[in-house]
Amino acid sequence: MQILIFFFLWDAVFSGGAKQLFGYDKARIFTYAFTLIIVRAVVLSSRSVDIAGQIANGELTNLLLKPINYFSYWITRDFSSKFLNILFGVVEATILVLILKPNIFLQPNPIYVVSFLISLLIAMFLFFSLLMLTNFIPFWVPELSWGAQFLVVVIVAEFLSGAFFPLDVFPASVYQILRFTPFPYLVFIPIKIYLGNFSLSLVFQSLAIGIIWSLILWKIVNYVWGKGLLVYEGVGR
Amino acid sequence: MNIFFYYLKIWSMMAKNSLLNWSVNRNVLLIFLLGKIIRYVSYFGFLYFLVKGTNGFLGYSQNQVLFFTATYVFIDTVAQFFFRNVYSFRPMVISGDFDLVLVKPFNALFRVLMGGPDPIDLITIPPIIFVVFWLGSLLHPTPFQIFSYIILLLNGLLIASAFHIFVLGFGIITLEVDHTVMVYRDLTSMGRFPVDIYKQPLQWILTFIVPVGIMVTVPARAFEGFIGPLEIFLFILIGVILLFLSLRFWNFALRKYTSASS
Repeated sequence: MQILIFFFLWDAVFSGGAKQLFGYDKARIFTYAFTLIIVRAVVLSSRSVDIAGQIANGELTNLLLKPINYFSYWITRDFSSKFLNILFGVVEATILVLILKPNIFLQPNPIYVVSFLISLLIAMFLFFSLLMLTNFIPFWVPELSWGAQFLVVVIVAEFLSGAFFPLDVFPASVYQILRFTPFPYLVFIPIKIYLGNFSLSLVFQSLAIGIIWSLILWKIVNYVWGKGLLVYEGVGR
Repeated sequence: MNIFFYYLKIWSMMAKNSLLNWSVNRNVLLIFLLGKIIRYVSYFGFLYFLVKGTNGFLGYSQNQVLFFTATYVFIDTVAQFFFRNVYSFRPMVISGDFDLVLVKPFNALFRVLMGGPDPIDLITIPPIIFVVFWLGSLLHPTPFQIFSYIILLLNGLLIASAFHIFVLGFGIITLEVDHTVMVYRDLTSMGRFPVDIYKQPLQWILTFIVPVGIMVTVPARAFEGFIGPLEIFLFILIGVILLFLSLRFWNFALRKYTSASS
């Protein structure tokens, strides 16, 4: 439904005869919509949302007793979930392309395509780290298991990542601030890279910022996990 | 009239309980409130800059587009405020706790539909009303347009009630509530913008089959003077018929309740 709203809204916006708006022509904004289906399936689908509940009700104890790496376990579950979502995403995108017959922009430059794929890997890792951090909150406040996720996953990641609308609709100053947060690197920047809206130097700069954020967040995740385990009491088990 | 006050009293008690429940988890309340505020600000911010950069679209001015969205937000939020309890209906059916509702001396549908108003929405509704009022005043409506708008807003809430009653009925028959509610929310979210943006036959479906258009777009169009008295009557008739059908469906579903697990 969200994709239909996105598609028809921009179709209506371009029906006034404008060739280019906010740096997009019609083909590129439609490509944004359809790439969004795939990027959402790859990046924003995850099973790690269950962690908070496990910490809150003590089920985490079961996993801690098993001879497996906790993070590897969730990364594996995430990948299986993403695989399923990608399948559904491809089917959904194909059906919608066949029905709506939009002009789609295919990126001819392999450097942009490879950079897009790298940016997706960074985005997956960033989202995983953000989810982990959010899910660790119940170590200290068990009743916040769903509330924190609502704020970070449903609201912040949705609106500030570009999953709801392209961030360059906002004034440049707002976008410049958002650029230095991890959120645009989840959805908006991978799609912009695919669309070729960035110069190559900006592409590499964006990938570098994404990698730096990944490293910073991963450090924080490990630190918080260690602190969380110290206060974990397995209440409920 | 006595029945009205009887149910008003019950609703006040349930609302008070819901508020007390939330007040125990003040952190959670604050987080959800913050989330909703971020969502509304981002959403209106996006729309504001979009229509500012394009000077409106499909013949709608900047203020008209914003007014459409404010109307959608208002109906959606009021519906969530009153019908939040629908989201917790599934566990009630699965555990058999619904039996305890059925044996009480008041309407079971009233209890499961309106049994837990959402206090967060109670906080967000006044600013939304202010935004609707402010954006509406920029469109310089006539008294008739304001009257039509209010009547059709109430009709929109009637349709929202019907949708939620259908969801509850499906919940009894299929034990599935969460996903049906998600489908409802996804469908109504298509009313964020005038249904004119959608191409046929989707536009027709959204107006007459799944009357999201009547629920959200029509009131705003009436406010802008595009809807006549005959159409208003027709739309109200559709709302009443939908509510009637949903009540029939609820009664049908109730006969399928097996009281399993109790």
